[in-house]
Amino acid sequence: MSVGWYWAVGGLRRAVALGAFLALAAFILGPLLTLLLWAFAGSWLFPNLLPEFSLKWWAYVLGNADVTKAIRMSFLSAPAATLLSAVICIPAAYAFARLEFPGRRVLLLSFLSANAFPKIGLYVSIATLLYRLNLMDTFAGVVLIQVINTLLFMIWIPTGTFRGINRNLEEAARDVGAGPLRTFFQVTLPIALPGLLVALLFAFLAAFDEAQGTLIVGTPNHITMPVMMYTLVLSYPQPVGAVFSVLLSLPSLVFLLVAQRYLRAGYLAAGYSL
Amino acid sequence: MTGSRREGALGLALVLPPLLLLVFLIVLPAITAVLDTLAPPPGASGLTLARYAQVLSARIVRADIAFSVVVTLVSVAAVFCLSYPLALYLRFAEGRLPAVLAVLFTIPLFVPVVIASFAMITFLVNHGLISTVLYHLGIQRFPPLVYNATGIVLTEVWASIPFAVLILGAGLQAIDDALIDSARDVGAGRLRTFVSILLPLNATPTMIALTLLFISIFGSFTIPYLVGGNAPQMLGVTMTNYLTQYFRRAEAVTMAVIAFAISAAVGAVYVVSVSRRERGTV
Repeated sequence: MSVGWYWAVGGLRRAVALGAFLALAAFILGPLLTLLLWAFAGSWLFPNLLPEFSLKWWAYVLGNADVTKAIRMSFLSAPAATLLSAVICIPAAYAFARLEFPGRRVLLLSFLSANAFPKIGLYVSIATLLYRLNLMDTFAGVVLIQVINTLLFMIWIPTGTFRGINRNLEEAARDVGAGPLRTFFQVTLPIALPGLLVALLFAFLAAFDEAQGTLIVGTPNHITMPVMMYTLVLSYPQPVGAVFSVLLSLPSLVFLLVAQRYLRAGYLAAGYSL
Repeated sequence: MTGSRREGALGLALVLPPLLLLVFLIVLPAITAVLDTLAPPPGASGLTLARYAQVLSARIVRADIAFSVVVTLVSVAAVFCLSYPLALYLRFAEGRLPAVLAVLFTIPLFVPVVIASFAMITFLVNHGLISTVLYHLGIQRFPPLVYNATGIVLTEVWASIPFAVLILGAGLQAIDDALIDSARDVGAGRLRTFVSILLPLNATPTMIALTLLFISIFGSFTIPYLVGGNAPQMLGVTMTNYLTQYFRRAEAVTMAVIAFAISAAVGAVYVVSVSRRERGTV
């Protein structure tokens, strides 16, 4: 199983690869490392290579009522949006992958439009709609805005996953007398689970990350963590933003660890390649 | 016969809920936005392009459009030049280094853009980590890296690498090993194999990656808002400012439609290449 010759391991080639690797590692990890250092800095004066360490900004951030409120709002709204999105999108994804119906291809592509129109132009119109429905500055309004951002992931990745499952397995189950629902829950779903988890994960991150629309729809009483982050970045001392960033990255970090196994298995790539 | 009709009905029924959401929260608002920008002044009838003429007559807006296109093209080119070798390396190299790299390059995917932007600022800013390290190396004068186009490009590249590598890598993965081996058997070198086998067979994923990168970078808001300078700025920031700072809704929406038109023109390339492929697999 080797086309390794294409990237043969000569000494020079290996040195170049290592150099490029270090440069890329510095580029990707450097900003995150700087942020992490700032989060534990009491003060950091130029040109010291390391800051004076202190936890005082953690006390400051966690003691702030607005911050804890934003954290609660984020951890309520993003899971709600992800679940709602999963419930309506996964059956649709199954239909896109397995059933023949008129307009299937066009409808599948139409979900791309969720990412093609500049969001800010949409939010203006959506805000008008939500205003009429009395959903401005409500939890439901914030969840709806977040769901929009999850649609593409929740349709496309599960569609790719279901399409990758061998049809013969399902047909074999049907042959031995299992009904369509039983076949789905006992055969299809367990095989599809890793791909669906990756979709859930990306949907959650997309919902959790949403700031622009939530800012418009949720102000002033339904502020999430990323919305708050704009204020913190622009008008607070550097360590405050850094501490908050670390808090805001925790869910992603957990997901990165959980998902690593599946990412390597290529489910993500399967989803992206449609 | 009835079986396939039932299947069609079931398929449509399952697809309906997310489709309704798409129609009510995206398609209809987008159409409303477009119609609003074409609406004539009160009392008159018909459609008018006056708002577009007015918005485009502002020199600042034209400068911002040009700036957005240039920054986006440079970012896409930079992402592509970094991602293609990386995807090739991950496809063909063996050993521990590629395994570590496969984890490393996905990290930005898990970092919210707000944080990525803020992290980039602390990294690149005057008296940030880069300038501290350069100072200790004896370099004290270098061009500013953030709050300008350079900062935007660097942050967009940082955030887009995983996406590009994943799509390009998936395409390369799909190319049969036997094909690559037989190219070598008939005496093709690495470059020749790349130019006449890998590049053409990976053309569709490449088109998909390039167009999606263009659309997402061109429409980005958070990165230019936090990492960019005051003027010129990217269109996403300009239209948001028009809406939330100057309360000029009509102009903001008009700019959104202009941005959409530019993205749609690029997106057409994507739709053509995807539907060609879809037809191939079904």
